[in-house]
Amino acid sequence: MSDDSNNINLTIDGQQVSVPRGTTVLEAARSIRIDIPTFCWHPKLKPAGSCRICYVEIEKARTLMVSCATDVAPDMVVHTASEKVLQGRKAVLEFMLMNHPLDCPTCDKGGECDLQNLTFKHGVDDSRFDFKKYRHIRDKNSTFDDLRIGSEIIRNQNRCILCYKCVRANKDIFGEQDLGAYQRGNITEINTPPGEQVDSLYSGNLVEICPVGALTNTDWRYKIRVWNTQTVDSVCSYCADGCNLTLWKDKQKIYRATSRRNDNIDEGWICDVGRYGYQVPMAEDRLTTPLIKKGDSQVPATWEEALGLISEKFKKIKDERGGVCIGGLISPNLDSLSLHTFSKFFRMVLNSNNVDFRAGYKMLPEKADDLYSKLTSLPFKISDIEKSDLILVLDSDLTKEHPIVNLRVRKAVTQKNASLFALNPITTQTGGIATDEMVYNIGTLHALLNGLCISLIDQNLTQYENARDLKNKLSPNTIEEASRISGIDVARINSLAKAITEVKNISLIAGELLTSSINREQLSGAIINLCLLAGIFDKGQVGVLSQAANSKGAEKLAVMPHLSERSILKIKQIWDKYPDNDGLALDQMIRSSIKEELDSMFIIGSNLMLEYPDGAVVKEGLEKLDFLVVADICETETTQIADVVLPLSTWVEYDSSFVNLESVEQKFKAAIKPVGFSLPAYQIINKIAQGFKTPLFETIDELIPEIKTLLQPDDSQNSFENCAIEYIEEKQNPEFEIPLLITNELHHFGYFTEKSNSLSNFCSEAFLEISPGLAEKLDVKNGSIIRVESEVGKINLPVKISEYIDNDVVRAYRNFSASPVNILQMRKRNIDRVKLTVVEGT
Amino acid sequence: MFDFVKTVLIALPKGFYTTFKHLFKKPVTLQYPKEKMPMAPRYRGLHYLEKYEDGSERCVCCGLCASACPADAIYMEPAENEKGERYSEVYEINLLRCIYCGFCEEACPEEAIFLGHEYEFSNDSRDAFIYTKGQMLANRPTKEKPFKKIIRKVRRIF
Amino acid sequence: MEKKILTKYIDDPNQVNIDTYLSHGGYKAFEKALKEMKPSEVIEEVKKSGVRGRGGAGFPAGVKWGFIPKDNPKPRYLVCNGDESEPGTCKDRVLMESDPHGVVEGMAISSFAIGSHLAFIYIRGEFAYPARMMEKAVEEAYEKGYLGKNILGTGYDLDMIVHTGGGAYICGEESSQLNSIEGERGMSRMRPPFPAVAGLYACPTIVNNVETLAAVPFIINNGGDWYASMGTEKSKGTKLFSLSGHVKNPGHYELEMGTPLSVLINDLGGGMLDGHKLKAIIPGGSSTPMLLPDQIDVKLDYESLAEAGSMLGSGAVIVIDERTCMVWVAERLIHFYRHESCGKCTPCRDGTGWLEQLISRIERGEGQPGDIEKIESLCGNIMGRTVCPLGDAAVMPIESSIKLFRDEWEYHIQNKKCMVKSEFAFK
Repeated sequence: MSDDSNNINLTIDGQQVSVPRGTTVLEAARSIRIDIPTFCWHPKLKPAGSCRICYVEIEKARTLMVSCATDVAPDMVVHTASEKVLQGRKAVLEFMLMNHPLDCPTCDKGGECDLQNLTFKHGVDDSRFDFKKYRHIRDKNSTFDDLRIGSEIIRNQNRCILCYKCVRANKDIFGEQDLGAYQRGNITEINTPPGEQVDSLYSGNLVEICPVGALTNTDWRYKIRVWNTQTVDSVCSYCADGCNLTLWKDKQKIYRATSRRNDNIDEGWICDVGRYGYQVPMAEDRLTTPLIKKGDSQVPATWEEALGLISEKFKKIKDERGGVCIGGLISPNLDSLSLHTFSKFFRMVLNSNNVDFRAGYKMLPEKADDLYSKLTSLPFKISDIEKSDLILVLDSDLTKEHPIVNLRVRKAVTQKNASLFALNPITTQTGGIATDEMVYNIGTLHALLNGLCISLIDQNLTQYENARDLKNKLSPNTIEEASRISGIDVARINSLAKAITEVKNISLIAGELLTSSINREQLSGAIINLCLLAGIFDKGQVGVLSQAANSKGAEKLAVMPHLSERSILKIKQIWDKYPDNDGLALDQMIRSSIKEELDSMFIIGSNLMLEYPDGAVVKEGLEKLDFLVVADICETETTQIADVVLPLSTWVEYDSSFVNLESVEQKFKAAIKPVGFSLPAYQIINKIAQGFKTPLFETIDELIPEIKTLLQPDDSQNSFENCAIEYIEEKQNPEFEIPLLITNELHHFGYFTEKSNSLSNFCSEAFLEISPGLAEKLDVKNGSIIRVESEVGKINLPVKISEYIDNDVVRAYRNFSASPVNILQMRKRNIDRVKLTVVEGT
Repeated sequence: MFDFVKTVLIALPKGFYTTFKHLFKKPVTLQYPKEKMPMAPRYRGLHYLEKYEDGSERCVCCGLCASACPADAIYMEPAENEKGERYSEVYEINLLRCIYCGFCEEACPEEAIFLGHEYEFSNDSRDAFIYTKGQMLANRPTKEKPFKKIIRKVRRIF
Repeated sequence: MEKKILTKYIDDPNQVNIDTYLSHGGYKAFEKALKEMKPSEVIEEVKKSGVRGRGGAGFPAGVKWGFIPKDNPKPRYLVCNGDESEPGTCKDRVLMESDPHGVVEGMAISSFAIGSHLAFIYIRGEFAYPARMMEKAVEEAYEKGYLGKNILGTGYDLDMIVHTGGGAYICGEESSQLNSIEGERGMSRMRPPFPAVAGLYACPTIVNNVETLAAVPFIINNGGDWYASMGTEKSKGTKLFSLSGHVKNPGHYELEMGTPLSVLINDLGGGMLDGHKLKAIIPGGSSTPMLLPDQIDVKLDYESLAEAGSMLGSGAVIVIDERTCMVWVAERLIHFYRHESCGKCTPCRDGTGWLEQLISRIERGEGQPGDIEKIESLCGNIMGRTVCPLGDAAVMPIESSIKLFRDEWEYHIQNKKCMVKSEFAFK
């Protein structure tokens, strides 16, 4: 019998194996490298046992057993290749091939198709089926019965072997309802509900897990045969989750991106932004040569000319007015090497601290070591979310901001029975599975958190010793007042407080709405208070999630003007010096530029004109600069006003690394050569530094230890103290009363994903999302044009009525160059408010 | 004397007999290019692409010919036509690389590519030997060659 | 002859009213169970009675109830399987439309026994009238306080939901039925976990046939020993048999287990229709292997029928006379099973489709030599290799038809016409 209670010994094909209780026979066999073929099995899905190809013979069992759904038992004797098993497999293949069309030559799955491989392996070369194959004919003129079931997905039902993997994943993992099986028996078809499309953010995964060519996506369709491609290990460059990708390329072209399963991060699921984001580097209109502004136009120039001009100008400014008159902004979507080189260039060569990466933030703090950065430096692991009993999501639409964190949260809730509480100013998709989704009045999160703290104190649920003392520091300091301000019932706040104290493990997740808020500091304080009172620092993890692929890296690599003492020490250690001037955050750089205190800016990979949350101010600021250098991959609004434009390589064109939101550094490899004469950012920066006769590195190997030192986690424990939190109601202009949220669109991340055809197929223009109630009040329908007007600007946007908004908040999407919604924003306002006027289409 | 008789009177006429005999025989050589040799049915000459009776191309650009090609002479790019079918947008054979082994016609699952009987395609520039799809379609013989059936039979066996 | 226990008042049109039902001693057993017995005692009594699942599998009901894990904190559910979809079966329908309170009472006692506070009765979509009757009965039971909160002052709560299906054969299979109740596509689930461990909404669930549950009140009233005294050693009590086909008096008959088949067909059924000769009997619903006329004296109980090479199944006896072509029968059956295959697992989904095409080809007279062997081989590839028993059900009658009537099949292929000339065959 088994030697201990948790391990079970069994024999597979004559080999002894010991596996934990609850393992399936399939997993046990695979653990000793015995291959059992599967179609419907997927490591992250519950076994369905529908394809029946994974038959094994178990001694003493009456019939063949499906190994994917049979748990191991002590002293089981399994045969995976006996004659009976092979006969069973052959029979299943024969059934599958019965109606399977012989269109492998045109099928894009050909070459990597499980059914094809198995058919070859088992030598089923002739069929006993002598009837006409069943056709799921939709269109008599169509040769292949292709049906587009999503913006990017094409279904060919004839090829489908009905493993139901797509339907199961779509429902169980992604929580979507837009794909199902219709009809019955051998005419079952996989289809969408009538009038619907598979347009979820995770739709590409359905294609990836299809074992045959029944689901194909348009980007790979009829482009290349799989055996002509090479694979490159890469990492997604969009959000901070850091999913691992495999890029499939041939020569100078990338054909698709698929997931490279990493159980710590993505578990093999990637979102469509990552999947189709490789199309951005493939864009037709990439910048290929440097451009220099001559008169009113920008003319192509050589690198020597461009770099010479930049060095000359920068040198002149540095000598005459000092390096502090040059500001630097780098995109957090760039790699660690570039970020590090950028910071090194400004600090070592220009002797200035004016470096920043936070283009989308309002009112950046003017000093270092704030509560917010304390919170962000806490360790956070995506895989630990599923260990939590309770997940608290603050101010974050996870689906849009961190699709893969969202999947983990969903997994914890649906599969591990965690409870979820979402505190958001609007209802979100993630909130749909929440125990309680609290939609508070926008901008009142700290009041609500105060209420929660007071509730913990009043109900005597806290072990924190200074609780009474803390209560006096809070304003509002009664739960009723907090409830009135935030619009959440006292009972709900109390029950959340109770839930928090009852569980053993909590994950607290805060997102973009918090990080980009003016009240970032106050909110961080409120979170710290809550964590102290509920003991979350001891029994869970707190994640203030960074936004872009390398935001975390930028924080750690000190691409910020104000640093903590600890970081300054580290920098002094590796470079022996640190500029003693006070740096300017991006926000201040633009203000200084308006005041003509800043002469020049060096922007890499950032379309500031579209990203900065105050369109009017940034326009004035950038136009007043004497000398603006912009490096980017394509022409943008910002490159158009630049004096020198440099062509930038994308992340698929060089080797480097990203640091994801867990502070894990992940390396990626170049898939193609740099397009045109473009260069990676770190090389551009080094070439400019060479103009100063102080090159930053000879080979990039020199930078690796420096980056390693900076990325090392801080050993010293952060100590947290409670903070005074005061909610002050923001004054508002009664004329503009509708709060406006500006976030990324579901299928877009950053200003460049517009260049991806696939992502633009999902959504190609900005729109205004409003609640059905508001739509009724305004008497508009989907597609009506509405004039959105704020105190500083106005813009016309089409309307989309959203089921996810049920209050009077409206939501607009940034980074569409045709509709720059940031002109509606004001940098000093916490909540932007607008008024709506219907233009047409009521 | 005997030797003289043996060499001159017997051997010479005997030798001349062979010579003169061939004078009146049909010559083996052909007056190329005026005359041409009849081709063996399975002769492998210049490639051509087959079409369906309705005029549409048989080739679906599956890439098997390119994979089978030992000389790596075939380059193709697939595309989608307005009916949603796959076809080859670019199909090129480098005739200088091609070794005329016929693997491509054996690999083709759609019976689209064949090696015909054409062998006169000398040219004076290397570029002209990149044989495009249009040329291959135009090169299609008017009536079906009998060897096609043989090829089909061979393919069924393997 | 007939031993009417469950069907005692079936002919009383007023039995559907709760007052009549009460006057016949209704809800006494429920009261007794609630007030005088502990749930474990109820289970013990049912175990003692030896009543076996009447849906087809014949698993002892009391044993099944005992499978519910004791330490599972999740709620428990009882599902009454009224999806009587086996061709030839018409027993549950009679109970539900003529004696619905008996079913409700049986369910109530069973729910009490397993500790469930929510019971479902799943009725197939085509049974509109029985569903209405059941709904009315449940309503009346609520009114009289036999359902709802604090039943009869004992503190026991029970709610009952009448759920109608969409009319899928597969939803008679317990795990598909649970999927259907959950609002999912009716497809069978993998076992383990068995429904008693993780069934409806992943909670412990007991699924029992209508007839099984309807027998429970009688067991409680009269004791398990009384019930066990009827029938044979291993198959106890009485069972409803649905007689159909070429007999004079088709219908449902309640018989003691172990009654010979000939009694049912010749005595109760009145013999063959129009005096034709008996050709074959399907003894337990369309999915069981056939019997030949010389086996007519077989006893109707689980063991004897298994010995005879068939199964008791749901007790639907289909009688086939000499005018019937067995290929035609096979074609009708496989058509049904092809249509009802849920499409989940490959052998059943594709295999039934292929078999239907092959058999209908033979039936049309276009059969080719080797087709019979092909059918046999396909049957072998389906048998025992599917998720749920539908695959087995589809191939068993065909296999037995070929085994017993091979000459008829061969005649079809060789002569392109049918051996039998009648309206039930291809001419």
